[in-house]
Amino acid sequence: MIKAKESKYLNAKTIEENKLSSREYQYGFVTEIEADRIPKGINEDIIRLISEKKKEPTWMRDWRLKAYRHWTTMKEPHWPNFQYGPIDYQGISYYNAPKTKNQDPKSIEEVDPELLKTFEKLGIPLTEQKRLTGVAVDAVFDSVSVGTTHQAELLKLGIIFCSMTEAIHNHPELVKKYMGSVVPHTDNFFASLNSAVFSDGSFCYIPKGVRCPLELSTYFRINAAESGQFERTLIIAEEGSYVSYLEGCTAPMRDENQLHAAVVELIALDNAEIKYSTVQNWYSGDKEGRGGIYNFVTKRGKCLGKNSKISWTQVEAGAAITWKYPSVILQGDNSIGEFYSVALTNHRMQADTGTKMIHIGKNTRSRVVSKGISTDESNNNYRGLIKILPSAENARNYSNCDSMLVGNKCKANTFPYIEVKNSTAVVEHEASTSKINAEQLFYLRSRGLDTEAAVALIINGFCKDVFKELPMEFAVEAIRLLEMKLEGSVG
Amino acid sequence: MLTSEMDKIVTFIKDFEDQQKILNNKAPQWLKDFRKQGLTHFTQLGIPTIRDEEWKYTNISPIVQRTYELTFEDGQLLNTEPLERYCDPKEFNLVFVNGIFSQKLSQLKSLPQGVHISTLQEAIVSHDPELEKLLKKYDAKSESAFVALNRALTQDGAYIKIADKVIVNKLIHIIHITNTSDKEIFSSPHTLITLGKSSEAKVLESHLAFSNEMIYFVNALTDIFLGENATLWYCKAQSESLKAFHIGATRIWEERNSNFNGFSLDLGGRIARNNLDVALSGEGGNAILDGLYCVHGGQLVDNHTCVDHREPNATSNQLYKGILNGASRAVFNGKIIVRPIAQKTNSYQLNKNILLGKECLVDTKPQLEIFADDVKCTHGATIGQLNEDEIFYLRTRAIPKRTAIKMLSRGFVDDVLQRIPDESVVRKLNQLLEPIFAAL
Repeated sequence: MIKAKESKYLNAKTIEENKLSSREYQYGFVTEIEADRIPKGINEDIIRLISEKKKEPTWMRDWRLKAYRHWTTMKEPHWPNFQYGPIDYQGISYYNAPKTKNQDPKSIEEVDPELLKTFEKLGIPLTEQKRLTGVAVDAVFDSVSVGTTHQAELLKLGIIFCSMTEAIHNHPELVKKYMGSVVPHTDNFFASLNSAVFSDGSFCYIPKGVRCPLELSTYFRINAAESGQFERTLIIAEEGSYVSYLEGCTAPMRDENQLHAAVVELIALDNAEIKYSTVQNWYSGDKEGRGGIYNFVTKRGKCLGKNSKISWTQVEAGAAITWKYPSVILQGDNSIGEFYSVALTNHRMQADTGTKMIHIGKNTRSRVVSKGISTDESNNNYRGLIKILPSAENARNYSNCDSMLVGNKCKANTFPYIEVKNSTAVVEHEASTSKINAEQLFYLRSRGLDTEAAVALIINGFCKDVFKELPMEFAVEAIRLLEMKLEGSVG
Repeated sequence: MLTSEMDKIVTFIKDFEDQQKILNNKAPQWLKDFRKQGLTHFTQLGIPTIRDEEWKYTNISPIVQRTYELTFEDGQLLNTEPLERYCDPKEFNLVFVNGIFSQKLSQLKSLPQGVHISTLQEAIVSHDPELEKLLKKYDAKSESAFVALNRALTQDGAYIKIADKVIVNKLIHIIHITNTSDKEIFSSPHTLITLGKSSEAKVLESHLAFSNEMIYFVNALTDIFLGENATLWYCKAQSESLKAFHIGATRIWEERNSNFNGFSLDLGGRIARNNLDVALSGEGGNAILDGLYCVHGGQLVDNHTCVDHREPNATSNQLYKGILNGASRAVFNGKIIVRPIAQKTNSYQLNKNILLGKECLVDTKPQLEIFADDVKCTHGATIGQLNEDEIFYLRTRAIPKRTAIKMLSRGFVDDVLQRIPDESVVRKLNQLLEPIFAAL
């Protein structure tokens, strides 16, 4: 049979041109560092070993075991709208800590310089003199937190910002009270797995009436091969407090798929506000879809108190598979939940992401703004749930999810579920799917912009509603990230 | 498949095996096979539960817990007065009572040339050459459970065939009446409408009962085939008894440049479910799917629409509105699929709900599945109440609150009713809506 001639668009670039213009994933390097890693596989002994390595109290170990036993009874979910090969849970090493000469660094200066160099290369200088003013960073490398900046300064205000391991040792009463209260160990397959094997993560506690003066942030880095990252973040905002929290992540380029199964729990008490922003840039695999991170994350916030507010902002630009539904349980009266998301998929990435807003309290409000951009042969899904329970008098929701398609081999789907069980609710939902407006493109080209710059500008405008929710430095970063990802996919 | 296994699943029909034998008595071999295939498929699929994504919000266990009987007697209607009030003798009327054709009540005189209106039974007996082909147009394996069940148990239905280039001005009205006294009846009417190239017609299909006390189960199926350039205006008006169950499927197959202009009214039934599937299988097809549901008490109405854009340059437009009162429930699931080849698709969908009752529930799921890039698709859904300010304004004009609510609800409904191009149909639908508005 004669192969059909590949059609070429008028302004199509050759493959070589595309290659030239498309910048490689710049965080794809590997750090050569000696690591303390436990054997592959998962069983009760492994969990005991992890717990032992972290010198954890018995209650923590028992909680892990409980989660593990529950996990063994569960089945991997396959309802999301994407395909992937089977994951070998016994082929993963669940604990990978970089070996350092100084096992217990007192300050950032004592951290292994090789690690500091890695983070510097990623654009996250940890050393105090170079740090970004106004941002405190907790850096997580494979399974452990390697350092947290600004701790002393924050502690003066009573703010606890440390790794999860430290929190288990130093603040067990808080961890015991809140861990698992939003995402129980029985929640879903990946959350249960995380509860059993989580290795580290960030812990943050804002006391009553304190407005956190710094942006708190965690930077996640996967380095070791044949491993996964299972971190757990817990943020508690006491009455009347405020915190803005950022999260970023990268991983090396490898042909194998690596699993990242995190859990994030947020708790906002009366009048408290938590703003959680993510710029996710895990390695997404190459053009043919080889390699990349499987990102299965459970993120959930609980507006426990009256007038509390939780706001999620995410820019999802990486990972071979993203399965993530940052949700808000609006339990306190008058509480507010927000979700702003930009999900960009290229190559053969698959994303099934969205949010859940569960209205329980009276006069609760929620707002969802989701922008999906899919290019190349990727698959981009929005899946959202708005649930108004009978107790939620006068609940209000507004959702808007728009998708943009670039190229004719990509897919964009929307699955919004709206369940209203109270007749005083007002719920609005709107969604659209379209391609880049040809007239806008033409106009920009007539002003001397090349196609790529024009597309970047239009997409930038398309995502503006979300970007303006991001903290300043992050917004700039996010715009750059999208531009870089779009390079070579337009033509 | 052993018959005993079938009995286990089709428990909701009394003496199922015997009934089936009576049904198949005079049928030609191909029809027997066709029915058997449907039954096998149904038994393989089983009765859907809320664990099936398509039935997530509609629990049909109250339907299948009962036992129904098939009926083979000629339909009788003692009091024909309400029917006469509803029908217009000047139009073509096909009346089925309990799923069986009633010659006496129907009016099919002076059919124009090129218009064939008969019952399915007649078409089978007269060996209509096209019938078998039409019935086998859809891939049986992808059929849903209740479509398969209809296939297995269809006794009769309307068969409408419009030849090429024929324009029918008079309304064709198909009326399904269920009227029982002691028995709980199961009927599965199957309507087939096929329009030739460049033809035009208007069809209204009504499902009625003149008492709200009767319990029965209607599992209806309507298949519509539109040839090139054909235009069909079609309305399904469902006003079953408030204790009855209605599961209906309408499948539309559209060839190049054809137009389907549909309206679906749902008022009756304790549980009513409609599946409306449009396959835009030709370039430049156009589909309009409008709908209205007004439910109260403990009613549940479930509308599933699916528009499948298979070819380029097609458009589809949906507007579904609902008023819910009491402790009623409404489910809306609108799916738009745009296949990779279907470039230049325009597709719109809107679902609006007004909640008047304290305990009513709405579950809505507008869904887009897009595989092509040069498309414009939007969907929206709103759930809310009548505007307090508007009610207040009317009250300052000395209009009692109840009247104000009625007026505003009427306005909400009229918006979609006004899109119906045929006056006679609007009059009929208003006649069905009247008692509901009176009770608001």
